[in-house]
Amino acid sequence: MFYLSLIEHTLRLPPHILHLPVDEAIKSELETLFLDKVIAKLGLCISVYDIRSIKGGFIFPGDGASTYTVEFRLIVFRPFIGEIIVAKLKESDASGLRLSLGFFDDIYIPAHLLPTPSRFEAIPNTRNQGRWIWDFGDAEEAQSEEPRFVIDGSDPIKFRVDSVIYPSIPLEQPENSKPFAPMVITGTINYDGLGPVSWWEEAEMIQEDE
Amino acid sequence: MKIKEANAGALTNFEVLGFLRTRGASKDPTRVIVPIAPSEFKVYDYLVESAACNQTKEHVKEFLERCKSYKLAKAEVLNIINLRPSALVEIDPIIEESEKRFGEQLEELVNLVVEVLPEPPTQKLPEPESNEVKEDTMDGKNMDEDKMETVTVEQIDKDQIEPNEDGEQIVVS
Repeated sequence: MFYLSLIEHTLRLPPHILHLPVDEAIKSELETLFLDKVIAKLGLCISVYDIRSIKGGFIFPGDGASTYTVEFRLIVFRPFIGEIIVAKLKESDASGLRLSLGFFDDIYIPAHLLPTPSRFEAIPNTRNQGRWIWDFGDAEEAQSEEPRFVIDGSDPIKFRVDSVIYPSIPLEQPENSKPFAPMVITGTINYDGLGPVSWWEEAEMIQEDE
Repeated sequence: MKIKEANAGALTNFEVLGFLRTRGASKDPTRVIVPIAPSEFKVYDYLVESAACNQTKEHVKEFLERCKSYKLAKAEVLNIINLRPSALVEIDPIIEESEKRFGEQLEELVNLVVEVLPEPPTQKLPEPESNEVKEDTMDGKNMDEDKMETVTVEQIDKDQIEPNEDGEQIVVS
């Protein structure tokens, strides 16, 4: 889930923080620049791990700030394909699920990567919201009062990362579209052991009874 | 900005959690004072609820030593340490071609995980004020999962207790 990345960056230290010791000032500047931002191909920057070297300290003519070339390591969040992650349900609509990790919200499970067969039960009077139900087992069970395998956000969901894409920044956006997501993770729960955690506890208990 | 090495090393959740803790992150509300950004706190909150929060360096080292004989891929070891699967069905999506490579040995691997790595934190008991009966049953089941040695008899007892809990809650609320 997390990787260390070695970055080199030329940093301009604004004059108002020059009273701090150099490494503290540089660390706070780096944090303002990188924290909680997505770098393409690298992932979401979580933290500055350490500073390897600080070089420079030149002052360019006409500028009141000093410029440093810093080499440092960042902790980035970049799941690899095939990784299994536990997340909470954020939204569920006809096109699939949207999960959240607290610090990262753009995780989508499109309808075709839900366990087959699944069906969507829309909540009446809402535009698009509803819940997904997995029709596992024979038809009689599916028709019973309370289906066994519902995705309703009451417990965390395990999913497997299918792909991580970094869409490029759009030039213009129409008014009502979703805010731009610089990093989108697509996941799947179409496999044994994936999906809400409570589904598989039941499976275990059934085995025990046998 | 130049990326010198995009991948200077993979980190387990446990290592990131340890790093945030050394900088002063904790659960209690002294959050404004410590030099940690709100976005880092969100990561901390996520990690503290995962299986990583009880792990120590010794646990991880011991697990790495003992799983060498299974010849797991680096990604699989990382997944196992992060998730701490306690059942066959949990370890199945982690390992590719589990039947071909392991077959019987898979159960040994699960037992090794359960033995070496500590349990994830148990779910909190349901609050008496909550009205959601369904939520309570779910939490009860989660507690069973964390106890691990799920004996059938214990299961029946738990099920019998749950209706009583609900009864008590109705009285209280």
